[in-house]
Amino acid sequence: MTAAARPAPAVLRAFRRPVGALAGAWLLLVIAAAIFAPLLSPYEYDIQTLKEAYQPPSAAHWLGTDEFGRDLLTRLMYGARTSLSVSAIAILISVLCGMTLGAAAGYFGGRFDRLVTVVVDLTWSFPEILIALILVAIIGPGTTGVLVAISVAYLAQFTRLTRAQIMTLKGETFIEAARSLGAGSGHILFRHLLPNALAPVLVSAMLATGDAIILEATLGFFGLGAQPPTPSWGSMMSAGSALLFKSPGIILFPGLAVAITVIAINLFGDALIAALDIRSRMRPPQ
Amino acid sequence: MTKMFRKTLLAASVSLAALLAAQGAARAQEATIVFPTNEVGATTYNPIKATMLNTATALIFDRMVSQGADLSYQPWLAESWEEAPDGMAWVFHLKPGVTFHNGEPFNAATVKAWIELFKATEGDNTYMVEAIASVEVVDDATVKFVMSRPEPNLLYNLSSTFMSVVEPKSYAALGDDYGVTEVYGTGPFKLESFAIGQETVLVRNDAYAWGPAVAANKGAPKVAKLTFREIAEDSTAFLELKTGGVDMLLSVPSDLLGEITAEANLAVLTLPGQDVWYMPINVTKAPFDDILVREAAAKAINQDEILASVFGGVGSVADTFLISALPESQVSDSAKIKYDPARAAAALDEAGWAMGPDGVRVKDGQPLKVTLWTQGDSIFRRLTEVVQAQLKAVGIEAEITTFDSSMIRDQYKTGEQQLAVRSYNWDNADIVDWFFGGDRLGYPNVSMFNDPKAEELRTAAMAGAKNMSERVANFTAYHEYVLTQFPMAPIYQPVTSIGYNTERLVLPSPLNAPSFGSVAFIDMEVKE
Repeated sequence: MTAAARPAPAVLRAFRRPVGALAGAWLLLVIAAAIFAPLLSPYEYDIQTLKEAYQPPSAAHWLGTDEFGRDLLTRLMYGARTSLSVSAIAILISVLCGMTLGAAAGYFGGRFDRLVTVVVDLTWSFPEILIALILVAIIGPGTTGVLVAISVAYLAQFTRLTRAQIMTLKGETFIEAARSLGAGSGHILFRHLLPNALAPVLVSAMLATGDAIILEATLGFFGLGAQPPTPSWGSMMSAGSALLFKSPGIILFPGLAVAITVIAINLFGDALIAALDIRSRMRPPQ
Repeated sequence: MTKMFRKTLLAASVSLAALLAAQGAARAQEATIVFPTNEVGATTYNPIKATMLNTATALIFDRMVSQGADLSYQPWLAESWEEAPDGMAWVFHLKPGVTFHNGEPFNAATVKAWIELFKATEGDNTYMVEAIASVEVVDDATVKFVMSRPEPNLLYNLSSTFMSVVEPKSYAALGDDYGVTEVYGTGPFKLESFAIGQETVLVRNDAYAWGPAVAANKGAPKVAKLTFREIAEDSTAFLELKTGGVDMLLSVPSDLLGEITAEANLAVLTLPGQDVWYMPINVTKAPFDDILVREAAAKAINQDEILASVFGGVGSVADTFLISALPESQVSDSAKIKYDPARAAAALDEAGWAMGPDGVRVKDGQPLKVTLWTQGDSIFRRLTEVVQAQLKAVGIEAEITTFDSSMIRDQYKTGEQQLAVRSYNWDNADIVDWFFGGDRLGYPNVSMFNDPKAEELRTAAMAGAKNMSERVANFTAYHEYVLTQFPMAPIYQPVTSIGYNTERLVLPSPLNAPSFGSVAFIDMEVKE
């Protein structure tokens, strides 16, 4: 296969487009803020100073303070830690499980394929938020619950995608060639099929991460995500919703953080699709 | 244009004008009200079976006895009553000419049938009629309750919404549909429609002429139609009030009071509250099986700081389990639970929990980590975060778990809780029995409190008093003993703030009732 299938240079090429560069820069900024939050902020995210509650933006507190007198920007950076890591890890788990299931179903076919298809189609027919809410209700509120809930909610998407890719690629001549040369199933799957199926799954995972951030924020908004005092963007917005009139910044800034980050992920995903030239490659072989 | 057509057009425009005028008049007699957020989701208007009833219940039904703002008992469906000197019988003289919404008459036979229905129903409310052995019909307008023991609290029970007088025939005939699809009382309003979780529409009972003694208006209400909407989010409800979508909010959180008073056409009516916010402590779960640790946790709660920072200084602090309007809240000063960080630290030291290097106390290598449950509503979450920080200040690390408000009661039934933040709404001392009775462990007894001495005092308080002053003394003793065992920490007593549109509504002032219920809606006017 050509270099176009290799995702790493494609990511760099996505940065060459202006929109991709802008979106990518924002994402890097947010990720850096999340990682280096303790170094960047002079404040603690969990120490209450009730006398300093509801302060507007100032030189000391760039985005103001929340209802407990905690610095909003600091909470936003620590919130990025929760929101980004939970979403990204959940999608990673979902991709790994989904690819394994989808590849096995697509390659081996038969009864196993039918079973996987039925289960996947069944979960596919429910909205992600519903699946996530049910799972959190069973597992219990907290980061672990949300992690599992998001992973399961997006499992169907990656299973279906991988399975479809494998089914298409399975009939290609290069697979036939490999098989006639005596290659085993493992070799064909891991050396030929999965590497070629990887690019679309990665782009899809990138876009799903954006959705997962929203899902994480939604669960956090309902109080089901990370428990206080650990901040997450969703729980910050939830606290701010009751104070919408008194101190609008408390809901506004985490809301903007979610919105801009999700838009950035989508724009960067688009740039990545263009760089990988996936659409032309997805066309059926002539 | 033909003559015929012109005539039709004229007729049409005249009738259209008439229609518009009529609609204006109809609109003027209507009001839209938002239930308090803690009343959202009531599933039935069946007062015998429900454990949660909303404000509209008090308008569909009347009660035997009404209560004034001073908590005194006043006539309603019972014009007068006498209690036997030994407390073993009560005679009620009923108001004549009262009819139910379905046309059935209200008389001594109805009262007998209703009390018997109540006694035969298995449920949480049955305790209210427990002391009534039997009911005798003396004549059509006189009924006698024969008691199995004196019950000084009988008049309170008869004035409670749970003892709303239901129409016994339709109640028996409708079964579980009573209170959901149809409901018949003698109240000033009739149920027109009820969509659970959404809205309740009530229309005026034009025949109503038996208002409670404490209402100024003894006849039919002045408003023809009331629509009660259920809005779970306070900010959404406020926006509806601000934009004219609704005329009144029955509860306004302190955060929004400033927003309402800032609007020229909106005002706030403040009434004494009947809520207490508190932190139950599960006495069976280590480390709280040690009374010293319970005392420390309870005395770590800084009520004044919470009042100022979480509730904007509106309302007052709580230092007992009861609202301060009740005489049983007057316990000795030493029994009151107040913020005392020095005592909290000393109690933890005494219990062997030494301060660790990271600010969390340690005993036998184990850190003092506990769980703190709360519900999803934003005000609970905010209060809980402050409680968490206050506990941390004395070295107790509390890990918050948030549950959906509809699920949390089932969670309490597991008995796994350690600390929690909750509130209740009740204005009688028997709430101490409800939340700390040894036979209600899990829920309502979230503290899992089952103490032999408390049970003795409880029996004396609930069933051992011959008259009201004895009951007050017994309940004060019971309440005081419970406080000294620290099964909870009292936090806050709110006031009830009602927000309304002054261009639309005229509220009775002063309101001679303990809360905004039937009296307020009978006397309320809509501006033309």
